[in-house]
Amino acid sequence: MPSKNLARVNPCSMCMPMGCVLVFRGIESCMTLFHGSQGCSTYMRLYLAHHFREPVDIASSALSEKGAVYGGAANLKQGLRNVILGYRPKAIGIATTCLAETIGDDVPQIVREFQAEEPLARDVTFIPVSTPSYAASHEVGYRVALKNLVQTMVRKSKPSGRINILVGSIISPEDVRYLKKLLDGWGFGYILLPDISETFDAPLNEHLPRIPAGGTPLDDIRDLASSKATVTIGGVVQEPGAGDFLEKEFEIPHRPLPLPIGLDLCDRLAASLEELTGDPMPEYYERERGRLLDTMVDAHKVVAEARTAVFGDTEMVLGITRLMTELGMRPQIIATGAANRAFAEAALQMVPASRIITGADFSEIAEEIMARDIELMVGPFTGRQTAKKTKIPLLRVGHPNHDRFGASHQLLLGYEGSMHLVECLANALIESKEKGYA
Amino acid sequence: MSVIKIFEGRERHIQQKGDDCLPLSCNNDSLAGVVSQRACVYSGARVVLNPLTDALHLVHGPIGCAAYTWDIRGAASSGSDLYRNSFSTDMKELDVVFGGERKLAAALRELADRFHPQAIFVYSTCIVGIIGDDLETICKKAAMELGIPVVPVKSEGFRGNKTDGYKAACNALLELIGTCDYTPKSYYSVNLLGEYNVAGDVWHVRPLFEEMGIDVVATLTGDSRVADIQRAHTAKLNLVQCSGSMTYLAKKMEEKYGIPYRRISFFGLQDMASALRTTAEFFDSQDLKEKAEQIILRETARVMPQIECHRARVSGKKAAIYMGGAAKAVSLVRAFQELGMDVVIIGTQTGDRDDYQKIAYIVKDGTLIIDDANPLELKELLLKQSADLLVAGVKERFLAYKLGIAFCDFNHDRTINFEGFQGMVNFAREVDVTINSPVWQLRVKRQSPINSRSDLTMNTGVEDAIQEPCQG
Ligand code: SF4
Ligand code: SF4
Repeated sequence: MPSKNLARVNPCSMCMPMGCVLVFRGIESCMTLFHGSQGCSTYMRLYLAHHFREPVDIASSALSEKGAVYGGAANLKQGLRNVILGYRPKAIGIATTCLAETIGDDVPQIVREFQAEEPLARDVTFIPVSTPSYAASHEVGYRVALKNLVQTMVRKSKPSGRINILVGSIISPEDVRYLKKLLDGWGFGYILLPDISETFDAPLNEHLPRIPAGGTPLDDIRDLASSKATVTIGGVVQEPGAGDFLEKEFEIPHRPLPLPIGLDLCDRLAASLEELTGDPMPEYYERERGRLLDTMVDAHKVVAEARTAVFGDTEMVLGITRLMTELGMRPQIIATGAANRAFAEAALQMVPASRIITGADFSEIAEEIMARDIELMVGPFTGRQTAKKTKIPLLRVGHPNHDRFGASHQLLLGYEGSMHLVECLANALIESKEKGYA
Repeated sequence: MSVIKIFEGRERHIQQKGDDCLPLSCNNDSLAGVVSQRACVYSGARVVLNPLTDALHLVHGPIGCAAYTWDIRGAASSGSDLYRNSFSTDMKELDVVFGGERKLAAALRELADRFHPQAIFVYSTCIVGIIGDDLETICKKAAMELGIPVVPVKSEGFRGNKTDGYKAACNALLELIGTCDYTPKSYYSVNLLGEYNVAGDVWHVRPLFEEMGIDVVATLTGDSRVADIQRAHTAKLNLVQCSGSMTYLAKKMEEKYGIPYRRISFFGLQDMASALRTTAEFFDSQDLKEKAEQIILRETARVMPQIECHRARVSGKKAAIYMGGAAKAVSLVRAFQELGMDVVIIGTQTGDRDDYQKIAYIVKDGTLIIDDANPLELKELLLKQSADLLVAGVKERFLAYKLGIAFCDFNHDRTINFEGFQGMVNFAREVDVTINSPVWQLRVKRQSPINSRSDLTMNTGVEDAIQEPCQG
């Protein structure tokens, strides 16, 4: 067993503020500002624009030498002021970059001062999140932003009888649309947060608003504490987050669920919703479930015993691995860039014989792949160099995906998303065999 | 009078040619909160050094800075792939508290052992600047121990902007230059500075010089190896393309090695031709001059029919230019003249006063000139000037598309070669296919038989939801 390398070679994760953007962008009329130097925000804008193929505006407090030495309060206040003037947001999410964390600015305090001094700030909600990227990855940034957002905004009022549907890990706009359709069809009241279905995948029409339309309404977020239950979709291997907070502070029962990928995990979501609402899943989805099963049976021989490497965000990797075991595939490498012990335990339970890597980078993944006779890689596009080097096909799923179209429209969740995934897995294996014989 | 008003403090960064007004304000820190399109010092350094293919580029800092810059540029290689990897010391909380020096030293040893690079560049990021790791000493020690150059790049993100990053990179290059001996293969020898081989550009340019009988000793830094850089001092002339990033290096090389430099550009037919002529004239050789003219004649004749064809389809259209550096923006103005197009907006992230004077001189009256633009301003200007095309980088692409405006990628992440004679054909085609795509004629609003609504196409249907300027 080689000792863990010191340097990271080709990272399999991103930094915390990246996760925050994905939460803030899912809120009605919300702008994101990074407190730190200009580069971080520009890089992440670029990264997100590549993936979603949408304009992505992220402001920065643009700290320079002076700010770094004497503290960034003046820059942060000016930044907030300009964001309000330029974008007229109803909310501003403020994430810190490593620089701001290292110089030790007290962002909540600066924000309080700003609110006291600045009339413009009166009707704006501020959501400061501390995100020192040297501490954790983008997934943790996402979770912390979601939790802070809820903590900052919720107010107790009279019970609404609704169900909170928290999106606990990063999924595509298409996934969110699918969930909303499912919940609408079920016919109960819910609050889904965050909702990037429109904001990161805007239709082209004659208006280009400064902040993309859509997102979870702010009033709904305030009202989360009035719901009767919370479900976090994609929240099983994460540390306590928004759902746990609501449970602890407002006694709203919380169910963390895995991402619904594969028959069993989709069934679990369905069962949970049935238990919470007392209403059966709509017939339409029963038929969809049947089609998924039909597809799995059709494809089982093509994918049988296929040796795969799955990598990327924790919850997605676990969901896909689960589907693979349902199909009789043999996932050999299960990897995530985050240091996450719960992930490792969950993966071990599912596929005890596999190599499970946390805190992975692609040099490590590549080494394992070469040692294990892998037939298919499944994960974000960042695996492309490894795929090229090892001549193993890469099925691109999840975030980020910069070099293929369709990242925003990739459906992985639910019976339907799982069905697509089964087909993609089968086709990828068929194509690679064809190429091999050609 | 300001042209448009969105943010207080930005008025003097935008002006219209023909107005009698104060010089454009530029070359200062970005305003907080306005979503500048600029990056940081580190990014500037990375742009310049990254195309060095057999070097190992180690980012000393937290993981993000390295993650977002992993293989994002289109600089092509004919040899090693090492530069396409991302290396980071992945600093953690403890490193921030106790310093990252030990980790860095160990990482250098480990990486040299695993990857056998010809040289290592160590980039410092923001937090390294704050905690004060002594890169210089660590790199010096590592170089002795490992027997390869280990060069610190002082690129803490907050210490200035991209231009300072260029300078940091040039200083790093200077440490390598002059450390190897070489005798150029020809009496006539040049370096190509500020040529990054994006999409294989240099492979269309270098052969032209070689055909003239000139030895291209090194390209800095496109498709170059560490050994090329080390012998760059043996060339007789430096041709500087991307002046923003490399003039500093050219001046230093002139001081140190007595190598004169000339500013040229390989983009556009005129500029490409004058690059060859400038070189021939510098060496004052009749033979070179004749060869240059032969090449120009032959190549122009070869590409002209295709360019004419595209020109007929795009001439009269209005172009907007927003570039990182000014040199490219200026080259683009001439290229658009060659295509019969009007430039209606021109801007850069990092231009200085000289650059903007030059720009103001070559553009027509009425053209808007903008420094360090942001999305809101770009949007207003594009609509105000009714641009048909925006030439910029990926961040701006989707803004243009949403406004129903054609777009051409002219940044480091483009995948089509634009330099040299063939490059101009590619550029003309790119401009043509995007401007004349039928997608712009599609209806934005469906015509409904039961609900009469306008039949807006994208081109005419664009309107700004928030027209009025903000109160400041
Ligand atoms: S931390 Fe500094 S060096 Fe790194 S991307 Fe941000 S601004 Fe640039
Ligand atoms: S400094 Fe921190 S926040 Fe900025 S890009 Fe680097 S890791 Fe991310």
